[in-house]
This record gives sequence, C-alpha cells and structure tokens, in this order.
Amino acid sequence: MEWLLRSDFDVATTVALWSIAGVSVTTIVLFGYTMGLRIVTIRADSRRQRFLAEWRDIFASSALSASAAETCALPTIRAGSRIDLLEEWNLARSIVSGDAAGHLMVLARRAGIPEVATQLLQRQRMRSKILAVQTLGHLRDKTHRDPICDLVQHDNTALSITAAVALAEIDPAFAVNVLIPLIPVRRDWPKNRVSLLLRFLGSELISEPMYRTIRAADDDAKTYLLQFARLVEAEVLDALVVELIRDSSDPGVLSAALKLVSGFEGVPRIATLTHHPVWFVRMQAAKVLGRVGQQEHLALLEALLCDREWWVRYRAAQAVASLPFLGPNQLRRMQRESKDPFAADILQQAFAEVGLA
Amino acid sequence: MTVADVVLYGQWVFLAYFVGINTGYLMQNVIAAIGIRRYLQTADQYEAENAFSALDIPISVIVPAFNESASIITSVKAMLQLEYPQYELIVVNDGSTDDTLDKLIDEFGMRPFPEAYRARVPCAEVRGVYRSVKAGNLRVVDKENGGSKADASNAGINVCRYPLVCVVDADSVLQPDSLRRVVRPYLEDPKTVAVGGTVRIANGCTVRQGFLEKVGLPSNFLALAQVVEYLRAFLFGRMGWSPINGLLIISGAFGLFHKETLVEAGGYNPEAVGEDMELVLRLHRLMKEKQRDYRITFVPDPVCWTDAPENLRDLKSQRVRWQHGLGQALMLNRSLIFNRRGGAVSWVAIPFYLVFELLGPIVEVLGYVFILTCAFMGWLAWPEAAIFLGLAIGLGVLLSTSAIMLEEISFHMYPRFRQLFALYMMAIIENFGFRQLTAIWRLQGLVRWLRGGKHEWETLTRSASLAEEP
Repeated sequence: MEWLLRSDFDVATTVALWSIAGVSVTTIVLFGYTMGLRIVTIRADSRRQRFLAEWRDIFASSALSASAAETCALPTIRAGSRIDLLEEWNLARSIVSGDAAGHLMVLARRAGIPEVATQLLQRQRMRSKILAVQTLGHLRDKTHRDPICDLVQHDNTALSITAAVALAEIDPAFAVNVLIPLIPVRRDWPKNRVSLLLRFLGSELISEPMYRTIRAADDDAKTYLLQFARLVEAEVLDALVVELIRDSSDPGVLSAALKLVSGFEGVPRIATLTHHPVWFVRMQAAKVLGRVGQQEHLALLEALLCDREWWVRYRAAQAVASLPFLGPNQLRRMQRESKDPFAADILQQAFAEVGLA
Repeated sequence: MTVADVVLYGQWVFLAYFVGINTGYLMQNVIAAIGIRRYLQTADQYEAENAFSALDIPISVIVPAFNESASIITSVKAMLQLEYPQYELIVVNDGSTDDTLDKLIDEFGMRPFPEAYRARVPCAEVRGVYRSVKAGNLRVVDKENGGSKADASNAGINVCRYPLVCVVDADSVLQPDSLRRVVRPYLEDPKTVAVGGTVRIANGCTVRQGFLEKVGLPSNFLALAQVVEYLRAFLFGRMGWSPINGLLIISGAFGLFHKETLVEAGGYNPEAVGEDMELVLRLHRLMKEKQRDYRITFVPDPVCWTDAPENLRDLKSQRVRWQHGLGQALMLNRSLIFNRRGGAVSWVAIPFYLVFELLGPIVEVLGYVFILTCAFMGWLAWPEAAIFLGLAIGLGVLLSTSAIMLEEISFHMYPRFRQLFALYMMAIIENFGFRQLTAIWRLQGLVRWLRGGKHEWETLTRSASLAEEP
C-alpha cells in the first residue's frame, strides 16, 4: 500500500483519494447510525410497551370512576416517556365521551399533561406541535384559545386542521365564526376532516354561519362549501338550495345545489335545467328527477336518455329505473319501444344493474 | 492525436460523467431524506384522524391480465378486500389463451353485463363485459388481445366509473391500506394528477391469500441485489424528484391517476415499450402545453410488492425492455427537453435522465472497455486507476447505505439484524459483476430502441422464493 502514500499524484487523483477517505468515513458513520438506531428502537419499544401497559390500566380505571381518577397512584413519568403518555392519553380521550372524558381530564391535570403540552407547543418540531395542540384541544383549555386560533392559519396542513379541531373543542361558539369562512380558503384541509369538524360542532351551531357564508361567497367558494351543506339543519338547507337553484347561473353552484335537493322545493326550475348547456348540470337534474320526480317528469327523463353525453344518459336511465310508479313490465316496454339506440343501450345497462335485464 | 491524448481525453470524459452522476444521486439523496422526514412527521397524525367518510374520492382499480390463470383468483380476492370505502375492481382479460376468463367466471359468478360501452381512449375490440353476482364492485372486461398491457389498461379506463384510476399488475401483492395511503396527495392537493407509490420486492416474503404476511429477504443472489436496487430507486430515486415536481416514472405495477386528465392525455400508448414512463412524460407535456398548475407526486409508503426475476434470462429481458422504453418515452416526448415553460422537468429531470440514465450505459460500458484495453496495452497507471475504481465502488456503497438508512428511519420493513447485514453485504457485492451486467444489458436495450424493436406482453418465470401459502 506504499503507493497510496506517494506525493506525486495529479490534482484529480489527489481529490479522488481524499474523496475515498470521505466516502468511507461517511459510509461507516451511516452504517453505525443505522445499526445504533436499530438497537435504540428495539430498546425504546420494549420500554414503551411496559410504560404504556401500566398507563392503559390507569386510563381504563379512571374513565370508569371519578374517585380512581382523583386518587389513584401515578407512576413516575420520565422525560423520555412524556410524548408517549400524551399520545396514549389523546387516544384514550378521543374514544370516550361524557363523564369518562371529564374523568380523564382530571387525571391529565394530576399527571401534569397540560404543562407537558404547553412545553411541546413551543418546540419547532412539527410532530410535537401537533401533539400539543391536539392535547390542549382535548383538555378544553381556554387559556390557549388565542395561540391555537393563530395556528389555524399555519401553512402546514396537519397542524392547521388539528388546530381547527382543537379550537372547536375549546370554544365551539367562537370557532364556527372563525372556521367556516376559512373552509373554502383552506382547500388543503382534507374534506373528510372538515366534515368531521362540522359534525362535531353540530348542525344547530353551524347552520346560520354556513348559510351566511355560502350566500356571501363567490361561485367557486359556494360550490366548495355546498359539499358540506348536508350537515346544516334541514329547513336551512332547503331554503338555501331553493334560493341557489332559483338565482344562480354558475354551473358548479347549480350542480352542487341540485345534489342537495331532497323534495319538490327546488323542482320548479328542473325542467329548464334538463336543457342546460353544461352536461353535469343536466346529469344532476336527471338524478334529482330520479329522487323526487313524478309522472309528469317522465318525458323530461326520456329526453335525457338521448343526451349526447354518456353520463347524462346513464344517470337518466338509473333515474327511470328507480321511479316508484313504473313497474318492471313498463320499464321493459320502454326499453323495447325506444327508437334511439343509445337510449335503448343505456336503459339495458341500468336495468341490468338493478336486476331487471 | 496520439494514443496518449486519447487516453487523457477519455479519462476526463469518464471523470466528468462520474462526478455528474454521483453529484446528481447525492443531491437526490439529500432531497429525499428531507422529503421523507417531512412526510413521516405528519403521516401518523393524518392516519389517526383521517377516518373514512363519504367525501373520500372513489377509485377504479384496473387489473390488466394476460394468461394469469395461476394467480388471478388469489389476486382478485385480495384486491376485493382492500381497505377503502368506495372502489370498483375492473379486471381486463386481454385475450388470454389460457383459462383466466373461465376461472374468473366460475369463482366470482360473473354474468354477461350489457355495458353501454364508450371508447374514450383507443384499445382493441371489447368482446364483452361481465359483472359479478358475488361482488357488486367487480367487473371483467373481455377483449381481443391488443398485444400490450397499455392496450388492456385503456379498455379498463373506458369502462371505469370513478374519478381516480389505479392501474395495478395482476401479479402484484398490494398492502391492504395501499389505496388509502396513495390517495393522500389528492386529498391534500387537488392539483394532483398522478401519484406513484413505493414498490418493493416480494421474493422471499410470505404471501397468504394474496396479502403479504411476513417480510423476508430472498436467498437468490439476483433477487437480493434487486432489493437493494429498488430501495435506491424508490427511496431516493423517486422521492428525490417528487418535491421539485420532476418525477418522470410511476411504476406500472401501481399508480393512481386522475381519470379525466388521463383520458385527456389519450390514455396509455399501446405502442410504448415503457408505457408507464411514457404516460407520465405525456402528462407532464399535456399540463405544460395547457399551462395548468399540477402535481405528479410520490408517496414513500411501501404499497405494492412485486416478483423480481431470479434468473439471468428474465433479468436481462427486463432490463433491455426498461432501457428500450426509456429511450422511446424520451423520444416521443422530446418537446419537453429544455422547454421554456417546462420547469424542473424540462431543465433538470429530463436532461439528467437523458445523459445519465439513457446514455449512461454507453459511457459505463466504454469505460470498462477503456480500462481493460489500457490495462492490456500497458497504458494504465495502476495506482490512479485503483483510486478511481475504489472511489466508484465507495460511492456506490455509500448510496446503497444511505438508502438502507432511509428505509430504517422510515418504514423498517426488515426487522432482523441478519436482514440488515444481508442488505449491507449486498450493497458491497453488487458492485462486482451485477452492476456491470446491468450496464451491458441496458446498452443492449439502447441498441434495440435505436433499431426500432417491438414490444409485447412478457411472461416472466415466477420466483420460487415467493412462497404462497394456502
């Protein structure tokens, strides 16, 4: 190996030689780190399981009994186990309600969970922040309402939606007025979580702000918000839908509103909407007729069976197949006598789907 | 020009290539490490509170099948049990000459269904559509053989109903929660048009009823080398491009697409050898041409496990095909190269693929020939050559070590120390023979593309180490 120690290598070779040294050291460090990580993970998992087994019993007994929550002996909490404790407490808290939830909050205060959460909130690490916000929300801790309200605006989706949920838990009446106008702005919030959030707040609380926000919003925001409008009170929803179908000319809004029609209130304009130039409005009109249509609407559906757009024909055929006043024989005759081959084909498919083929 | 000049210039060309490719890989590595860390920071939280609801986007899963009689029933049964609230499964029988269709009809009670078929993307003639009386969300499309997976996938696209389309290989083993994981970018960013997930090697794993039961490593040398290779390719190869919206490949084994965009792009190209890459490039091209804001992204979660070739013949065939497909896909979408509006795709990703992935085998194989010639002729300065060779091997090992570390930090799918050691050993050993072989095969693929070779369905020998338990 003496040749390696020569001093007359050119620059490129010298750089390569030093690079080998750097690469070798880096590789050994990465290898050591990976192995060390594996050892640490195995040990931490084992310790974590023991710790959590102990606390799970405490959570279970505390959820069932107020006296257990107030008096049971608490194990020492090491600094390294505090996050595990918060995660487990949040899990327990999210699956109970009523008195049991109250008991768990009493236990949390005894265990110092609010203080741990407050400390974690100051950390830079996103996962810690999210856990802290979630915990403070579950604790219904009003002293943190304003900082959590600020975090609703955070760029990070997970943090902002968690903060929104926490805000709803801490102060629902305040939260509706902050969160509902934000829904069409924060399109990054997963829709199912928005839906769960609104469900949590309850139809009574959200109906008026939703109605107000939808009416004031532009067409794009209206369309987006209408996806969650099913969660408002029925009479508010009906009034909103009638108003939108009557007044709106935007295809997106019309389509979203038509999806919410549950009775005849929005039907008067349906006849015109079956001729709308935008296909998805015609398609939604067909679906409405399938839900609430009567004998006099059959002609409209028959016309839609010949529509140039496949989806309109398909939904019209499904609507025809679901009309309560048409029996199997009438449906089969309708298909046989259909002069339009597209209409006949799509009726055949729709009838086959409901076992009428 | 003297021989000495040729040797000197040759050295500098190889050195520049070497520095370029390794700098590129190391940068991808850094980007991937940051991306995976960021992804994992929110993944648990997302999982915990992301309960299913009616607002989840329904998905059509398309399974193109050609002579898959041996595995189709197990695969379909497993795919019918995926954890997702609303999805349909469409198996496309691409004119199989075995009893694939008969088995499906018998097992799932398939009945002819009068589908009002509409051809939105081109494919060979559809002979009929069947609907299951046992599983309401299962349909089978029986069609004339179109000669390619792309053609079969297009038939599936024509009959599917939902806004997202997931195309999977019939012999892929999916994670039960794969759809839930891969749909996440669509929920987070409505501009998403395509998502790829990490594909892992199934050889050596235990599969029961179409689901992965136990993760293991293959005993076969070639398959084990591919495990390390896939870790590199997916954990930093794909993850490194995704944050800059420069992802050029979504594996054909598992990809989720926005259907209307897919249809607008014309579906899969039946003439493409690497139809998966060609489609992604075409989606980039379409979005750039229409000047739309979009995302083509990647989730690092292991969502799909696939059988890797265990013999040289199959491995060679695969690598030749991949290289052929790469050349063809880049050529078909050449307007993207240095396109003014092309962003990272046009100015970073495609040039990198062009120089280091497409033309790389020429430089690599020429390098081997160059060194051997110089050695034979006595022109080689041995100390210098040994140093550069050592550096090349060292960097190769470093990149693999880094990929194994990313795997350990993120998903640690290989829980035993013995497995970890096996991966490290392979990270070293693969540099002696395996990489050189694949470089030669890739060169052959490049030649086949230049000569205009044609592609058809390929049936690989199923691995013996992928143990399917009853």
